[in-house]
Amino acid sequence: MSTSRPRAAPVEWQKHRSAALFVLPALVIYCLFVIYPLASSLWGSLFEWRGFRMRGFVGLDNFARLFVEPSWTKLSGAFTHNVFWFLGIMVLQNGLGLIFAYLLFLRRRGTAFLQSVFFFPAVLSPVIVGALWRLLLTPDGAVESLLHSLGLLEGRLTILGDSTWALWVLIAVDAWNWMGLPVLIFTAGLRQIQPEVFEAARLDGAGNGRILWSIALPQLVPSISSLTTLTFINTFNQFDLVYVMQGVQGNPNFATDTLVTYFFRLAFGAEGAVGITDIGLALALGTLLFLLLTVVTIGLLRFFERRTVRF
Amino acid sequence: MTNLDVAQRIRQLPGWIVLALWALVVAVPLYILIVSCFKTTAEIYGDKFGLPTNWTLDNFANAWTQAQFARYMWNSFAVTGGAVILTLVVSAMAAFPLSRYQLGWSSPVLAFFLAGVMLPIRLASVELFTLMKTLDLLDSRLGLIFVYSAIRIPFAVFILANFMRVLPKELEEAARLDGAKEWRILFRIILPTIKPAVAIVAIFTAIAVWNDFFFPLIFIFDDDYKTVPLAITTFIGQFRTDWGMVFAALAISMMPVLVMYLLLARQIREGVGATGGLK
Repeated sequence: MSTSRPRAAPVEWQKHRSAALFVLPALVIYCLFVIYPLASSLWGSLFEWRGFRMRGFVGLDNFARLFVEPSWTKLSGAFTHNVFWFLGIMVLQNGLGLIFAYLLFLRRRGTAFLQSVFFFPAVLSPVIVGALWRLLLTPDGAVESLLHSLGLLEGRLTILGDSTWALWVLIAVDAWNWMGLPVLIFTAGLRQIQPEVFEAARLDGAGNGRILWSIALPQLVPSISSLTTLTFINTFNQFDLVYVMQGVQGNPNFATDTLVTYFFRLAFGAEGAVGITDIGLALALGTLLFLLLTVVTIGLLRFFERRTVRF
Repeated sequence: MTNLDVAQRIRQLPGWIVLALWALVVAVPLYILIVSCFKTTAEIYGDKFGLPTNWTLDNFANAWTQAQFARYMWNSFAVTGGAVILTLVVSAMAAFPLSRYQLGWSSPVLAFFLAGVMLPIRLASVELFTLMKTLDLLDSRLGLIFVYSAIRIPFAVFILANFMRVLPKELEEAARLDGAKEWRILFRIILPTIKPAVAIVAIFTAIAVWNDFFFPLIFIFDDDYKTVPLAITTFIGQFRTDWGMVFAALAISMMPVLVMYLLLARQIREGVGATGGLK
């Protein structure tokens, strides 16, 4: 695109000046409130902090402190929960979403309406979704009475306070919230596949399940790629649902703690009984998370790039 | 109807059942939310699924006045409106020369903006907090407007530039020969021709800003400046036994998004299918 011209005419110079003036406001706001804080957070992770005040350079000390007690238990727990969250959403939300999308794709009527219904929770604030499900799932709530009347449960419903189940409940609520996203992306992807491909397979006697698995899926790699990447970024940034439904400590007993809730406690002082901030530790965790997100995102995109079917 | 049609219908039945089941899973919680708003708290405890025996608007009245939802709504509207306008104006200004001038330096600048779509800005919240404190933008709606715009600019520039790039050159050349200024060409000629893109950017920015509570959580301490989602997080703890009022507060706060969704469902569906970007 960029070709170097031998000599810039006077009009040329004016064009560059007016272009720069147009780009400047957006660039300034973006640099000041996104790039600068991010860059100084990365840089600051190499320093010792006393409260919100930066002290001397300490190299990788903050990072080393993350991986020893008392931080290690929290860090490894939160990381494991994020990994479960990612896998859970991939299966529960994106897997089911693919099936729903395919069923919608096979039908001519009702598609737009059902897509709109499925997507509606995604435009709600996670605060509303979290608060709503917290009310529905409390002991004596609507889910409990439903399970009682179906005879599936006796006594109180306590899954939100149960450390083996709490995380999976949050993952299910998250899938409920965002199910519309894979449905929309997959239906858009399915519609881009040439109809002849499906017809040929159908004439060969392939059933719907087989067509989905061996014909549609390989051609859906671009959709799968963007969904996997989005899911990875979103699940490893998970904070809102945990905060609203289980509090910033990731109750019960840190069973739903995530990397960002842990970061938040370190940065804004809700870690430990006395609530002291540890900015150095927070910035080190932020830096690691930033690197993890960047490296894995690029890796995922490369991985799927190589598997994209082209014609 | 022929036999073939009937056979076809029957084969499609299991699929319809699956789809209907998920529609129920989505609709029932929302139904419970809506009917509970009109029930007394005692009735909510008694009967979760039925319609209210005595329809009451007390919950809304309480949430609106006692819990001061009117103020939070105003704050949310001001922040959302401000962020949408600022994002649209500066992003359109940036996207215009970057996509339509022969500059030689537009690709790297666009790439620099695009990188921001994925940057995990929450991880920079400590330094952002310090910056806001220095700029005296804590406890300020304007501060939130700046932060939200900064976060949404990358997506907006990306979408607008993509739409602007494919417009024919003749579109602005006649106006330019007539001596029209560049900003006039942008706002009077280019933007009206790419209304769908402007709509996508406006809708997605509005939804993302309206729903967010992370930045109010760290930047807003004064009750006067709280936005709706932040108010709700404190609210649930405070009035946790008054279910009727909590449900009503949730219903009030989702109302603007619901109205927007009913009006613009098609644009939102197509926008998400095409760009995948809402979060």
